[in-house]
Amino acid sequence: MNRKVLLFGTLLVAPLLIFLALSFRFNPNLIDSPLIGKPAPAFTLRDLDGEVVRLRDLAGRPVVINFWATWCQPCIVEHPVLISGARRYSGRVTFLGVVYQDRPELIRQFLRERGAWGPSLLDPDNGVALAYGVYGAPETFFIDAAGVIAEKVTGPVSPGQLDRILGGLLARG
Amino acid sequence: MTGVRATPVLLVAALGLAQAAAGAQAQPEAPPPVEAPVADPAPAAVGFGVEDLLLGEPAGTPLSGEELDRATEQVAAKMRCPVCQGLSVADSPTDSAIAMKREVRRMLSEGYTPEQVLSYFERSYGEFIRLAPKPEGLNLLVWIAPVLALAAGAGLVALYFRRRPRPRAAAASPAEDPELEAYRERVRREVGT
Repeated sequence: MNRKVLLFGTLLVAPLLIFLALSFRFNPNLIDSPLIGKPAPAFTLRDLDGEVVRLRDLAGRPVVINFWATWCQPCIVEHPVLISGARRYSGRVTFLGVVYQDRPELIRQFLRERGAWGPSLLDPDNGVALAYGVYGAPETFFIDAAGVIAEKVTGPVSPGQLDRILGGLLARG
Repeated sequence: MTGVRATPVLLVAALGLAQAAAGAQAQPEAPPPVEAPVADPAPAAVGFGVEDLLLGEPAGTPLSGEELDRATEQVAAKMRCPVCQGLSVADSPTDSAIAMKREVRRMLSEGYTPEQVLSYFERSYGEFIRLAPKPEGLNLLVWIAPVLALAAGAGLVALYFRRRPRPRAAAASPAEDPELEAYRERVRREVGT
């Protein structure tokens, strides 16, 4: 009888353990965006100086949209990478920041101290963040020249990721 | 048997490790757990924000007052808070959930139906946003599997009781069992009764 119980228990537990072991390969917080391959939600927002920015006006070359905030430590880590990336791809790629749940005065102070890599747009009611399915900061969306979301990076983007993704988008033309 | 006994421990440990494997992302600190007021949509932002919800025309009637409050709560209760663990948007005090609730309210006040609202968020967040997945395709397993498991368990129990050897009928009485009667006689002799 004990052998039967052991066999039955193993048959019951083994699939569960395999399932859990496979689950360790994935970060439970990273869920693929259903927006990949779909047109980027169009928006109109103001930047910190009150200038109006329309996403539709930027069609024709790749756009990087980074949702960030000053309270977000990974965003601070990522900041120099975006500054360097915006400089390297200047004239070929548009870099846009969307302020995520933060106060404009804190953003201004942060940018004064550390420099800016592109306009930071204010999204006071979080409507744009919700339209992009943002979970937290930072999240970066890469939009191709035709206005389609090509990739999304959750967490701080690395120089290697930036070059790989933007290289691919620019090669597509 | 050890493997079976160790299972709960393994499962708890595994789930704990899976939780710990979170990405390098940040969420704002949650405000104190009080019911946050959801303001009506700000009229000043007309023309700004998302230009097109891509939902077509609103398919319902615009709601207001208590009806809007009730419908907002009902829809928010069906949505998963994206930055919480197992909380609905209606129950979560986080900024993200409050923003979602505000958007739900805005859409319902414009005449979008609850299903249109859920579809809008589903397009951005995927089916994950629905606390109860739609009963279709593989999702049906969520409803069917527990019933099947229960039926299988009941079958196993029935099988076990059917195969178990039946208890013997009444034990043989001493009068019918000469061997037992011999022992009884010996006891009587030895105790002198």
